[in-house]
Amino acid sequence: MRSASAGRVLVSEPGVIGVTGIRGWLGAGLLARLARANGVRALGLDLRRPMRMDERARFARIDLCEPTADGSLARVLEKQRVEVLVHAAFRADPTPDVEQDHELDTIGSMHVMHACAAAKVKRLVVASSTMLYGPYPDNPNFLSESHPLRGHPHAHAVRDRVAMETLLAEWSQRHPDVEVSVLRTGWIFGPSFWNRVVAYFALPVVAVPLGYDPLMQLVHEEDVLRAFEQAALRPHAGIYNVVGSGVLPLSTLLRLAGKRALRLPSALLDRLAYFPSQGQTGDPPSAFYDYLRYLWVADGRKGWNAFGEPSYSTKEAWISFVSSRRMRRYR
Amino acid sequence: MAEREPPHPPPHEDELEDAELVAVREALAELRRELRARFGPDAHRDAELRRIDWNELFVALRRRIGTLGMSERSGEVDEFGMDEVVLRRARPLFDFLYDRYWRVDLSGLEHLPEKGPCLLVANHSGLLPYDGLMLAHGIERLHASAERPRFFVADWLMTLPFVQPYLARLGGVRACRENAERLLGAGRFVLVFPEGVKGAAKVFRERYRLKRFGRGGVIRVALETGAPLIPVGIVGAEEAHPILFKWRPPIRLGLPFIPVTPTFPALGPLGVLPLPSKWRVRIGAPLRLERLGPDDARDELLLSRLTEELRVAIQGLVDAALVERESVWS
Repeated sequence: MRSASAGRVLVSEPGVIGVTGIRGWLGAGLLARLARANGVRALGLDLRRPMRMDERARFARIDLCEPTADGSLARVLEKQRVEVLVHAAFRADPTPDVEQDHELDTIGSMHVMHACAAAKVKRLVVASSTMLYGPYPDNPNFLSESHPLRGHPHAHAVRDRVAMETLLAEWSQRHPDVEVSVLRTGWIFGPSFWNRVVAYFALPVVAVPLGYDPLMQLVHEEDVLRAFEQAALRPHAGIYNVVGSGVLPLSTLLRLAGKRALRLPSALLDRLAYFPSQGQTGDPPSAFYDYLRYLWVADGRKGWNAFGEPSYSTKEAWISFVSSRRMRRYR
Repeated sequence: MAEREPPHPPPHEDELEDAELVAVREALAELRRELRARFGPDAHRDAELRRIDWNELFVALRRRIGTLGMSERSGEVDEFGMDEVVLRRARPLFDFLYDRYWRVDLSGLEHLPEKGPCLLVANHSGLLPYDGLMLAHGIERLHASAERPRFFVADWLMTLPFVQPYLARLGGVRACRENAERLLGAGRFVLVFPEGVKGAAKVFRERYRLKRFGRGGVIRVALETGAPLIPVGIVGAEEAHPILFKWRPPIRLGLPFIPVTPTFPALGPLGVLPLPSKWRVRIGAPLRLERLGPDDARDELLLSRLTEELRVAIQGLVDAALVERESVWS
């Protein structure tokens, strides 16, 4: 099996794989997988111990928003002899507390980088998103890893992550001895993943901008976890897009699931959704709806070569999400 | 897997369940990958597999079960958003436009290679990409490979709501270097109009005089991908939408200018209909690039010389077709 074979090609024996943000979906799933892998010792890092955690994994408390988080994290990493750190402590969704989001997503990541350099961590794996390329009408149909990260002018979470990646690139040049892999995932869908985007698409009636029908690209949660597991176990330096194969127009996705598309003119949609959106995410609606307006499909070939062909295409990921909702008797 | 696991205290009830669930899911994903590797489109290399294809049936059945109760009108598109269903529905209209309306006279098909990659470069006219649609349609109908060429569309059209999704379904692709490289790398026919917006916004007075060709990107892509470069001259499209002059209203309307044609603002929406001019499409001999390779793509002087050569070749095709015709309408 995969996990057994993965254990054999491991870093030298006393090495520990650390995962930050294990109360989030990605951190929790990854920690569970790593704890099951043979010969791997996994260390989870977060503010509080999660309610359910594999007993084979260890836990250390760390607050990335503290001013001296880099020092305390470095101490933990050194004491536990962490060789590989997976940084997944990011906000799952933007919150109205824009400053606090910035503290965690950008400054928190900076602390992680500094701690890695101080504690002589061999590899750092950072979770990022293909949303960072930004939805633009002048995007090429497939965005490669070298495409500039234009982000979105109104989406503060995306802006923070772009700042994080910029910091990471600069830091990585100063510290070439730490191998850095960045995994940019597309919109994740599947039976267990849940965030604001998924919640939006779980509605029976989905409001979409009138006159636009962009190609969408989704990735299944299994493929995401598998890619992160591989990146944690074996060296894969560089930037990778982690996306599903194939694309589908937005309208086809909705039709496949039997959902109703409520097509509203952009001007109306942006005004209607203004206050709900501002209240929930701190951003004007275009920060989300532009992603349903313009193209931002990423080229996944590099990631597929490194982590294996995705087991779910965009369509299969969507169907997996929809049918899991059906099984739980939701529409 | 079980016997390999290191000894550890028995996990709690719920964690065991969790681990099992994950293991089952992993096994399913493994099965899925194996199914795809064994029964996927690449697995049918053996020629003697002519009997009933159980694999295909099985895959179809699996799909059918997986999508039970979901809508069947699934618009499967290719990776650039071209939709076969939309195309099939639009074909009668294109046939009408091609045969009856513009009576397109296409010649020079013998210059096209048997199969791609192939880069066709044509002169551009008219704000809507009728020329791209008609040329793609003609090549699809008449060429042996019967593969629909993709035509490149200027950026500003790709920002327009309503227009953009349909163009993509019909095979339009945003004009940029990355897309050209990917399409040619996949061995496809690609139609480009390097004049871009400058060509589309030509007024009637300047008809059939080719504008500057972008920044030499066409030649560079052709050299880097090794695709043959074929000049195409289109005559007649300029008269379909003759722009008399460009009207720049004092308020911004999202367009750089309003094209005033004999019919457009005057007849309202009806004015968008193109005029039934007679079209002549001439495909020329490919440009000689055999002795040049990807390394030459860095030689800017060579690029600009080749770009000019290409422009002259297309201008020659256009001029010859212009001399040939007696009237715009026949």
